[in-house]
Amino acid sequence: MKELITYIAKALVDKPEEVNVTEIEGEQTSVIELKVAKEDLGKVIGKQGRTARAMRTILSAASTKIRKRSVLEIIE
Amino acid sequence: MEIYDFEGKTTQEAIENAARTLKVPAEDLNIDIIEPGSAGIFGLVGGRKAKIKVTLKSEPVLEETDELLVARQTLEKILSLIQVDVTVRSERIDGKINLIIDGNHSGLLIGRKGKTLDALQYLVTKIVNKALEKKIHLVIDAENYRKRRTDSITQLALKMAEKAKRTRAPVATNPLNPHDRRLVHLALKEDEDLETRSRGEGLLKKVVIFPKNK
Repeated sequence: MKELITYIAKALVDKPEEVNVTEIEGEQTSVIELKVAKEDLGKVIGKQGRTARAMRTILSAASTKIRKRSVLEIIE
Repeated sequence: MEIYDFEGKTTQEAIENAARTLKVPAEDLNIDIIEPGSAGIFGLVGGRKAKIKVTLKSEPVLEETDELLVARQTLEKILSLIQVDVTVRSERIDGKINLIIDGNHSGLLIGRKGKTLDALQYLVTKIVNKALEKKIHLVIDAENYRKRRTDSITQLALKMAEKAKRTRAPVATNPLNPHDRRLVHLALKEDEDLETRSRGEGLLKKVVIFPKNK
């Protein structure tokens, strides 16, 4: 899950080197924390949160496949 | 890249010469004007020829394959990270790039009401636009979902139109995304007894079908 979000986030931002993703694994739910450069925050959130929502949708499809739940948190 | 020199009485003529000699339309040339040229006095004395340097713009055919390739590879990369066992076909129709997902997990990739497919399409479009620094029109499909969705939205629109006419009262759809809304408007465009309008805020809006007063 971490690689998935890392790939997408790096492809969307201007400063891919500042993309940092950590995965905190729980028994059933994993929390994926995404950090990007301050200027890139808008790029991963999108207009009215559309980009963030699209990433969450894909993340939940990927999690369903391995019978888990994942939550994406974008850290400011 | 090869650079060619051309001359003419005017810059315009020099460009025409270049286009004719290189057998490409003038739009496909990068043109640098070296000397604008001047007619001289009465077009007789002291006239100077216009000089230009031209290079050919990169061939559109190459660009096209690039776009298809970048789009397909981006989607393939994301799908491999979701760990689904599928293949992706790419094609270009009317300037629009179609990516078609085939395989066992296509149901998972469509999602409820095509939600996952739409998310993939949105993100891949953004990523490719950024990588190529241009806007592309991209559609991602699996199991012919787009066609099925178009048909079912059109059916729904016709059914609601029927109801609006029967009850002589406006009928509203569920909140729909822009693409689905467009399908409703298109389906009822020809019907002169009805009017369709979108209502609401944000990405998802309802389409209201009004019967026209006669």
